[in-house]
Amino acid sequence: MIEVHDVSKSYRVNRPRREGWLAAVQSLYARAYDWKTAVSGLNFHITEGELVGFIGPNGAGKSTTVKMLSGVLTPTSGRIITNGIEPSRDRKHNAMHIGVVFGQRSQLYWDLPMDDTFRLFQRMYRIDPAVFRRNVDFMVELLEMKGFYRTPIRQLSLGQKMRANLAAALLHDPRILYLDEPTIGLDVIAKTNIRRFLKELNAEKKTTVILTTHDMDDIEEVCERLMMIDDGQIIYDGGLQAFNSQFGGGTMLEVEYKGCNAPLDDPRLQVVAHTGNNVTYQFDRTDISLGEAVSLVSRRHELRDLRLREPELEKTIGMIYTKNKRQRELK
Amino acid sequence: MDYASLYWTFIRINIKAKTEYRAAFLLTFLSRGIVWSTEFALIWVLLYKFQSIAGWGQYEVMFLYALNLTSYSLAAFFCFHPFTKLPAKIQSGEFDELLTKPMNPLLYLMSREFTASYFSNVAFGMLFIGICISQLKLSLSAWDFFFLFITLVGGTLIQAAAFIYTAIPSFWMVRNTSIAQLLLFDFKDFIRYPVSIYPASIQIVLTLIVPYAFINFYPAQYFLGKQDFLMFHPLFQYLTLAVGSVLFAGALLLWNWGIKQYHSTGS
Repeated sequence: MIEVHDVSKSYRVNRPRREGWLAAVQSLYARAYDWKTAVSGLNFHITEGELVGFIGPNGAGKSTTVKMLSGVLTPTSGRIITNGIEPSRDRKHNAMHIGVVFGQRSQLYWDLPMDDTFRLFQRMYRIDPAVFRRNVDFMVELLEMKGFYRTPIRQLSLGQKMRANLAAALLHDPRILYLDEPTIGLDVIAKTNIRRFLKELNAEKKTTVILTTHDMDDIEEVCERLMMIDDGQIIYDGGLQAFNSQFGGGTMLEVEYKGCNAPLDDPRLQVVAHTGNNVTYQFDRTDISLGEAVSLVSRRHELRDLRLREPELEKTIGMIYTKNKRQRELK
Repeated sequence: MDYASLYWTFIRINIKAKTEYRAAFLLTFLSRGIVWSTEFALIWVLLYKFQSIAGWGQYEVMFLYALNLTSYSLAAFFCFHPFTKLPAKIQSGEFDELLTKPMNPLLYLMSREFTASYFSNVAFGMLFIGICISQLKLSLSAWDFFFLFITLVGGTLIQAAAFIYTAIPSFWMVRNTSIAQLLLFDFKDFIRYPVSIYPASIQIVLTLIVPYAFINFYPAQYFLGKQDFLMFHPLFQYLTLAVGSVLFAGALLLWNWGIKQYHSTGS
C-alpha cells in the first residue's frame, strides 16, 4: 500500500546574517543559504489496513513525511509509492484515493452546514449518489453527528468540527487516511470518540490510517504500529509492546515480603531496589509472563503486598528525546 | 471534463453562504455603492472646476474610471480573495491541504474563494458605463457593444493577471505585501486620468511594462473618437484583449512554475 525507499528531503534556508549594517546590506544581494535536512534515509513499508502512528518531537520531520506521502511535497531523493503510484508525480490521481485532515484547519464552509460541503465534495470526487448516501449515513451514525448535521459549521464546538472534517475527508472511500494531530486541543470525550471511530472505520472499510500525534493515548488506543522519528530519522518502527520492552525498561513489580527479605535469584527478574522488606523487580514481558513472575516471587516467601507498574509511554518517549538531543549536542 | 459544472456548484454554494446573512449582504451592496458613487462624483466635481484634463472632458474621464472599475470588479470576483490571501494560506498550511484535492490548485482556489459580494461592484461599474454613454450621447452599433464586451474581457484578464503575479512571490517569500500594494493599488491610481497627462517615461511604463493603459486609456479612444495615442500607434486601441490574453497566459505559466517549486521546497 505504501512503500518508501531511501527517501530524503532537504530545504534551503537563509543563513542567519551576521551583526552590523554592512552584513545587512550585503544580504540584500548575496544571500547565504544552508541546506537543512528535514528527513533522511527513510525506509518503510505499510500494508493495507494498518493503523500507524508517527511520533517525535516538534520539527523532527513527522509532518514533512506525511506531506511527502500525501503528494504535497516532492522528496529530494528516494522513491515513494502509494496505491501503486508516485504521489508527487501524479498528485491529482493520488488525491482521489486519499483522505487528509491536517490539524484544526477546516475544509468546510464556515457559514453553511456540513451537508453543503459534502455535496460539493460529491461533485469534486465524482462520488456515485448511492455510495455518497451510504457513506454520509455511515459517518453521521458512527460519529454521532445527527444533532448538528444541519447546523452551520461556525456554531459547532471544536470536537464537532473535527468530526465533521473527518467525515468530509472520508466520503470518497479513500484507501489511505492521513491525519496530522487529529486530537489536539480536544477534550477527553471528544478524543475517545475520534479514536473509537478510527478503529471502527479501519475494521469496517480496511482504510489504512496514518496519524501524527503528541498524545500517547492516541498511539495506545488506536495504533498497532508505532514509528518514532527524531532528527529526521526513524529511530523505532514496530509494535507498542516491543517498543516498551526496548525502551521502557520493562514492567516494575514492587513486592513487600512478610518477615523475610531475601530477593529472588532469577536472571529474568532484575532487582532494582531493595530496602527492608521491600524489593522492586524489573522484568520484560517478552521474557517472562506476569503470571509467572508473580508466582515466582511469591513461591518461597509470603507476601504482604504487591504492586505492578507498567512503563509510562509518555515518560519513556521524553527520555529518548532528551537522550538523543544530548548526543547530538555532544557531536 | 465537467469543470464548468463543478465551478457552477462552487459559485452556488458561495452565494448560498453569503445570503445566509441577508442583511450583511445588502449592507455591503449599499456601502460599496456609496463608496464608488462618491469616487465617481468626485471626478465630476474635479472636472467641473477644470472643464477638461488634457482635452478629456468630464464624462470622458468618468468613462475611464467606469471601465477600470468594471474590469477590476470582474477580476476581483474570482481573484481578490484567492490571491491576496495566498501568503497567509501558505503560512498557515492551508495551502498544503488544498494540494491534496483532486483539482487544479488555481481553479480550486478561484472557485472556492469566489467572492459573491463583488457583484455590487460590477453592477455599479456597468451602471457608470451606461451613464457615461448616455451623457456623452454616444451612438453605439451592435458591433461597438461587442467591442465594449471584448474590451472588458481583456481588461479583466489584465487585472486578473496582476492579482496572480503579485501572489506568486509568496511561494518563496514570507512577506511581499509591498509588491502587491504597489502593483494592485498604487500603480492603478495612474489610470484614473488620461495617461497623456504624464511624462513620457510614465506613459512608456503604463503601456509596455505594466500595461494598465490598455484597461481604459487606449480602448476608450475608440468609443470616444479620440486620436490621443502618445508616441504609440493608433492600432493600440484594439489590442486590449490581446494584451490581456498574453499577460494572463504568462501569469498561468509562472504560477505553475511557482507551484512546482513549492512542491520541492515547501514553505
